[in-house]
Amino acid sequence: MFFNSLAFAIFLPIVFFLYWFVFNKNKSTQNALLIVASYYFYSCWDWRFLFLLVFSTFLDYYTGIQIEKGKSESSRKFWFWLSIIVNLGFLGVFKYYNFFASSFSELVSSAGFKASPILLNVILPVGISFYTFHGLSYVIDIYFKRIKAEYNFVDYSLFVSYFPLLVAGPIERATHLLPEIKVKREFDFEKAKEGICQIIWGLVKKIVIADTCAVYANAIFDNYNTVNSASLILGAVYFAFQIYGDFSGYSDIALGVSKLFGLDLLRNFNYPYFSRDIAEFWRRWHISLSSWFRDYLYIPLGGSKGGLWMKVRNTFIIFVVSGFWHGANWTYIVWGFINAVYFLPLLLSNSNRNNMDAIILKFNFDSAKVIFSILYTFSLICIAWVFFRAKTITDAVLYLKRIITNGEFSSQYLENERYNHELLLLIALFVLVEWYSRAKIEPLSGRYNILKIALAIVAIIAFGTYSDYKEFIYFQF
Amino acid sequence: MKQFLIYISKIIVVVILIAIALDGLFTASFFRAKNRGKVEAVFNSTAQKYDVVILGSSRANNHFVAQMFEDKGIKAFNYGMSGGHLFEASLMLKLMIERKYEMKNVILEADLNLASEEPSDGIASDFLPFIHNSTIIKEHFKTRKNFDDIYYIPFYRYVKYENVIGFREAFLSAINKRTNALDNLGYYPLQKHKNGNMKNNIVNLNPIPRNKYYEEIKSICKANNINFIAVMTPMCENVVGMNYFEKVKKAYPEIHNYENVVVEDKYFASCGHMTDAGSKLFTAKILNVFFRK
Repeated sequence: MFFNSLAFAIFLPIVFFLYWFVFNKNKSTQNALLIVASYYFYSCWDWRFLFLLVFSTFLDYYTGIQIEKGKSESSRKFWFWLSIIVNLGFLGVFKYYNFFASSFSELVSSAGFKASPILLNVILPVGISFYTFHGLSYVIDIYFKRIKAEYNFVDYSLFVSYFPLLVAGPIERATHLLPEIKVKREFDFEKAKEGICQIIWGLVKKIVIADTCAVYANAIFDNYNTVNSASLILGAVYFAFQIYGDFSGYSDIALGVSKLFGLDLLRNFNYPYFSRDIAEFWRRWHISLSSWFRDYLYIPLGGSKGGLWMKVRNTFIIFVVSGFWHGANWTYIVWGFINAVYFLPLLLSNSNRNNMDAIILKFNFDSAKVIFSILYTFSLICIAWVFFRAKTITDAVLYLKRIITNGEFSSQYLENERYNHELLLLIALFVLVEWYSRAKIEPLSGRYNILKIALAIVAIIAFGTYSDYKEFIYFQF
Repeated sequence: MKQFLIYISKIIVVVILIAIALDGLFTASFFRAKNRGKVEAVFNSTAQKYDVVILGSSRANNHFVAQMFEDKGIKAFNYGMSGGHLFEASLMLKLMIERKYEMKNVILEADLNLASEEPSDGIASDFLPFIHNSTIIKEHFKTRKNFDDIYYIPFYRYVKYENVIGFREAFLSAINKRTNALDNLGYYPLQKHKNGNMKNNIVNLNPIPRNKYYEEIKSICKANNINFIAVMTPMCENVVGMNYFEKVKKAYPEIHNYENVVVEDKYFASCGHMTDAGSKLFTAKILNVFFRK
């Protein structure tokens, strides 16, 4: 059941009605309903993986309590490592086993030995990377005594399985979401209104921007060896907007839906393409994942303590691991590595926290510099996206090489019978709307709310892509 | 909560009003289209006179060189539509009759398309902008499963078939940007292509006996005193299941089998579509057999 499907359009009002009109007695009934709704939502993909989700939930719930109750350090350690190993074990088997097996086989073959790896014929359970990280952060926080264990299984289950965030995040923290779950929610009109605006804007991003860009980006990436430099550049730009519209659109819908139930989720995107350097980009893109890696990997590794070499090493580790988190493919690892390389000059010059302030433009030289920085950063990001999108590293390298060597910059008629430049106006309009709304969560709330919603609906109905349906990219992670 | 329900109701009303307004706007754009596609051209046309009208799929569109008819003093137009099935060919003929076209002969390419009574989404949707303005179109679609959604929900058809009649096509229609669909009197010549697929497997394909839309075309021709000529057109040599054409002949003895008029691969752009050179050979044969006088 996708957020942009008819099934969800029926499911959501039913759950909303039951939540506020039937199960609104206390927080327990509210939570029980949300758990049932979440499990139903998840089982719409594949009910068999529901058992995995319930098992993972139970494991972290139980080990969390055992860690807290543990009298000796060795007992606490035992339960802690049990949870970590089992959680990462599931992730390893379902997501990474085939990758490691085939990579090892290739390595052995290249050394002249014969190897035939045993590959598993399993599909990746949707959302496994997200709910595993929920559970991990919870157990780690208990182990380091940052939070208390949750003894109410329903409340804890809801923290892990809450349907708006279950399949593609944001990756929540127990410190943030659990306190909200522990109290009865009262209906708040303003919050619900914000939620509606965020849902509609999320749909604009997904249906109008992402899916339309996908039609062009796919036509270019799938035929990169026959198209010219101009098309290849546009292909990278279209993919940049596809993945942004797709993932931030999903996050907006998730946050908006959650607000309808009175629960605030962590913000996941903050206009990342207006970043002035790569460090700022990573403070604005997939914020819940970046901060997860910062808190649970970078800092435990020593963070920025221990000298420059440690800082560089830790930065490379979190970027490469973050890339690998996205999928079991060398392209994601290289994508992570490239971002670490981009980050390196900022780290060495100690300027990775330079652009913490809001962007304000005036008619002066400094503003021109800011615009140049934004465009430069966006170009770097687009180059990295080529690796993220390409099927193999070779494809990505050839794609980039052809941009330089082809040297033709004319408008081109693509294989899908469309011109390569057709989307530029739509993207320019989208960028303008986001630019003028960059101080807000989304552009629709505030003055002239109904008029802005009407325009967004016109965009969704008239400009949306429906025939070439695409599921959210991050569902595969 | 009351406030919220009023807010949601307002949004729902806005959605309905927008859908109605956009429906009107998109439909009006398609009414302006005269030189984009064959469907719009026929719908927005007035009475025409033809000696020969050619109908069918791409195997009509790419195989009948209409100019060769004209060169013999026979006024002809190729209304074959790439990707089209008999569902659309029949509707096209009905529209022409509604527009009071006078036709002496209808040549129908009837071979592979006899295996289906389903519409081809890509082509059938070209008719949908006009569904509220033509009883013929409305009646033709009435048997389809999603007719009620398409007919009664404003703008639904433009969303459902957005890749064919969505904003892009509506905009291009509004500015009347021409395509090459009507060039060469509707015939679209193909050239030899190095990546052309020269294999085809039709072993599982079976002609539907008394195909509803084939029979419909036949009876429309009879009712309007139009000479009906149904022909099978050539395929390349590498076809698995070539006995399909014999099955057609058995089920429809009146269909002329010219599948083997052109056989050599050099005359084919892909297995089911001849090159311009092949099409000329084929058209010459048709002219020679049916229009020698």
